[in-house]
Amino acid sequence: MPLLKIDGREIEVTGGTSVLQAALANDIEIPYYCYHPALEVVGSCRMCLVEVEGMPKLQVSCNTFVGDLPAERKVDSKYDMVVNTQNDLVIQERKNMLEFLLLNHPLDCPVCDQAGECYLQDYSFKYGNAHSRFEEEKRVRPNEYLGSQIVINHNRCILCSRCVRFTQEISGTSELYVEARGYDTKIAALEDKPLDNLLAGNVADICPVGALLSTDYIHKNRIWNLKKQPSICQDCSVGCNIDVFSQKDQVFRLTPRENQDVNGYFMCDIGRYGFHRFEEIERLTQPMVQKGETWEAIDWEEAIQKAADLMEKSNGKTAGVTSPYHTNETNFLLGQIFKDVWGSMPQILGEEITFPSGFRISADRSPNRKGMNDICEIIELDLDSEISSKAINGLYILDDGVDRELDDTWKKILEKMDFVIVQSYAMTDLAKLAHIVLPGLAPLEREGTMTNDRGRIQWLRPSLPVMGESKPDWKILSWIRKAMNKDEQDFTEINEVMKEMGEVFPAYKGLSFFRIGPHGLSLNGKASG
Amino acid sequence: MNSNGTPKEKFTFSDSEKVEKILSQYPDKKSATLPLLHLAQSEKAYISSSVINTVAHLVDCHPAVVMDCVSFYTMLYTKPHGRHIIQVCQTLSCSLNGADTLVDHMTGKYGIKPGETTTDERFTLMKVECLGSCGTAPVVQVNKVYHEDLSKEKFDDLLESLK
Amino acid sequence: MKSFKPILTEHIHQKDCHTLSFYKSVGGYRALEKVLKMNPENVIQEVKESDLRGRGGAGFSTGVKWGFIPKDTNKPTYLINNADESEPGTFKDRLLMDKAPHQMLEGMIISAYAIGCHKSFIYIRGEFYKEYKMLETAIAEAVGNNILGKNILGSNYDLDVVIHRGAGAYICGEETGLIESLEGKRGWPRTKPPFPAIEGYLQCPTIVNNVETLSCIPHIMNYGADWFKSIGSEKGPGPRLFCISGCVNNPGVYEEPMGVSLKELIFERAGGIRNGKQLKAVFPGGSSSAILTADEALDVKMDFEDLVAKKSMLGSAGVIVMDETVDMVQACLNIARFYAHESCGQCTPCREGTAWLVKMLTRLVNGGGKPQDIDMLFEITDNIGGLIDSSKGSFGKTICPFGEAVAWPVRSFVEKFKDEFLEYLPQETVVA
Repeated sequence: MPLLKIDGREIEVTGGTSVLQAALANDIEIPYYCYHPALEVVGSCRMCLVEVEGMPKLQVSCNTFVGDLPAERKVDSKYDMVVNTQNDLVIQERKNMLEFLLLNHPLDCPVCDQAGECYLQDYSFKYGNAHSRFEEEKRVRPNEYLGSQIVINHNRCILCSRCVRFTQEISGTSELYVEARGYDTKIAALEDKPLDNLLAGNVADICPVGALLSTDYIHKNRIWNLKKQPSICQDCSVGCNIDVFSQKDQVFRLTPRENQDVNGYFMCDIGRYGFHRFEEIERLTQPMVQKGETWEAIDWEEAIQKAADLMEKSNGKTAGVTSPYHTNETNFLLGQIFKDVWGSMPQILGEEITFPSGFRISADRSPNRKGMNDICEIIELDLDSEISSKAINGLYILDDGVDRELDDTWKKILEKMDFVIVQSYAMTDLAKLAHIVLPGLAPLEREGTMTNDRGRIQWLRPSLPVMGESKPDWKILSWIRKAMNKDEQDFTEINEVMKEMGEVFPAYKGLSFFRIGPHGLSLNGKASG
Repeated sequence: MNSNGTPKEKFTFSDSEKVEKILSQYPDKKSATLPLLHLAQSEKAYISSSVINTVAHLVDCHPAVVMDCVSFYTMLYTKPHGRHIIQVCQTLSCSLNGADTLVDHMTGKYGIKPGETTTDERFTLMKVECLGSCGTAPVVQVNKVYHEDLSKEKFDDLLESLK
Repeated sequence: MKSFKPILTEHIHQKDCHTLSFYKSVGGYRALEKVLKMNPENVIQEVKESDLRGRGGAGFSTGVKWGFIPKDTNKPTYLINNADESEPGTFKDRLLMDKAPHQMLEGMIISAYAIGCHKSFIYIRGEFYKEYKMLETAIAEAVGNNILGKNILGSNYDLDVVIHRGAGAYICGEETGLIESLEGKRGWPRTKPPFPAIEGYLQCPTIVNNVETLSCIPHIMNYGADWFKSIGSEKGPGPRLFCISGCVNNPGVYEEPMGVSLKELIFERAGGIRNGKQLKAVFPGGSSSAILTADEALDVKMDFEDLVAKKSMLGSAGVIVMDETVDMVQACLNIARFYAHESCGQCTPCREGTAWLVKMLTRLVNGGGKPQDIDMLFEITDNIGGLIDSSKGSFGKTICPFGEAVAWPVRSFVEKFKDEFLEYLPQETVVA
């Protein structure tokens, strides 16, 4: 393997790796703008210029590749390339490039969303000048909407062309283009073909400065106020890895987190903006029983006991309904309680979309169908007829949540039941038809594991605090189980649930959040179903 | 964002055989973009969004990609212009041989500055960069034709002759 | 001055010199006949030995460039004739296309044969409409006479030539900018590596050669490498078309051997400075070269080596002559404005730097200059294109040589005529 010497350090690299890639993989900082690992190399920003010994001019490290040299040409008889990234010449060049980039850049930091996570700010502090020598009139243009979700501030744009390359190579939709040339160059979209594809939100992420902004997030907060929590998107079965940015009890934005086995570097807009649908809903924060036309709030002990009593009285004629929106641990415990009859509601299907880069949005808009199928040994597909044939008179339902529209078949089933217990986080149409509602957590408050449709188990981490008296869904089921059978263990920690889950289902054996880690584990070949 | 021309009417080339010939000359369709744009411009005077849509369809790519190409080149016009585009070269050799005098003369006589069109749409005046005929400076290109070795008087005669 | 018998422009004053029949009557297409019986490798070898160097501006050895085409590729090879003549001060290719199109075509066919190409393009600048029509006619003549198309002159070799018109962009004369434009995109040059000979048009091996370079090829194949080497300078020999314009009595294209003295060119061939004025400065190789002062100009030979020694370059051999009446600051602004207009905008230093230069020079010319502006002009040109003095380390910062092309002339104006720049500063702030 070629040997690269960079700033005195010896690094072995795979042939064909660029100097920039080698540096980034080894924590050596080389500033850059136009380079992005998912996009074609253009080498246009000129920030990553480094000195390569033996070459007369400075070279852009993003487009300088290390290969094996024949022995007689190796430097000092061992190095295939010797690079300096921190000498005076290179540092001076960075200063010069930054000066050019900042010529027309407005002093917008106090009002720019990118502040705090801006490459221009960071590199200016490190390598730039404290003042501008530009005495001429600046090039000024008004902001423009490139699509319904993305606005461009032309004055901040450094023309790295990442956004244009994104729409050409990743989404394949080519809405963005470069207009004019030279000093008048700018990014544009045709008026009748705006940037409205389902990956559009990513261009605001990949923009290294505050030029492309998400209208959803614009001027709403500051990055330093926000808590960042790595988690998993719950809007389809792909299970993109994300970061959730929140402050106190409000989520402000979601951004993708890199995972080469799931979503690459990106996420879709359905997931990105989906968190808003949880914001304005009427939350359940107390256990409630139906009393005629009204609901009476009761405490947990009473609620659990009431529910257990109802189910004992039905003498095995209660069916459990799992949910592919819930975690493995929750579904597992439901399955342990209702060993005989259970199933799930009909699948909600959207459009399956695959982009040219391979990025996929699954038709299955629930996050954990595979996990649910793995953990539940029998899924009664036609729960409806099972209910009739086995004379089921009670249902314990894990509510899918605000995404579930109740159809007439199910409304009829529910009306026929002697009792319906619903575990939910909101007063959904389903919850309204229940006799007892037990308040669980909303999706962004939950913790547990979910298995995506490629058999990868991932760690769902909570981003928001629990509201009112709501409890984790697995905890509620643990209480129910204990109330129905005193000999059963009452779980206090979720990893205890995972342990038992692994004992019943060998494919899920030996799991822990630590082992699953930030990028998940592939269960392929091990999980059943 | 950009809009130009009326998107409602669809542009079609008048000679589809010529279009086919152009497309068949290249190993890749997209290479036919510039020749098709030139052909469209010769038929329609300037390149509207309907032209862009038609060309995009013919070369199998997104209209934004064609627009990207169009906006780069100075000879592709996206707005209407006069019947005679008077392009006066202003680069060094022509400038040393009186190009500015020609521009000033036209501004003085016809009232338009570089970039502007006369109200009767007879002339558009443009200052352009090196036309590649420095030996016969000053040079003016009118539409497709070069006029070389000009003087103020010859230029005046030329303009008068252009109806 | 000993008169040199023109080779490339031998017949340009004769009637119908552009026709196929005329070209044949003066021995045209004989070289092609000979070449079609040769091994293509030997053609490349002959051109290599002739030491023909590119006439477009870069001056790279043509034979060596041809040799870069991979021998074992299964991708098609392309030859592109760069007829996008846009370098200020240069107008020789236009003459060749106008008056000797078949000479150029013959050169193209031979070159295409040598590199195994069966489809070739002429990228001609959009403004050259008359020349485009001339070439269309010439190609039609060639096709009609079995000189292009299938089984050329009864050999097994096929070749198609397609004329592709540009649309007004100087940067499309840069080889990778040209290739991008030919592919139907904006003419943004590509980062190298990969080089066009490996991955060019449609990622296939591609050679880009200038019109004049290709026009030399038939003569090399007719008379041999040694003959070519005997003309003019030892390094980089051959006949050369020198374009002279500006403040001279007889501007025009003059064919001389490489290495002719600039003094001869200006004062004998071009008839000296007009109106009896004195020479002040000269661009020796198009506007992308550093200017020479009168003293430097009177002492230099027009070839690759001598001009580099004088810290300039031969480039496209477009000589622009400036006399004592020319305001150097205005000339500098004129050139800077050209580059700002033609900058493709892809990379940072060129896009921002060229506009900055123009704005600063405009402010200076309008009386708003400041003392620090002069040093800033040096710094900005360095930051865009680096120093031409390679002993100080030439550090190009841009994707393509455009950065150097704007930096060298602008810097040379300020360096060599600093006093004129200082005179533009408002009087009370002038530093001695």
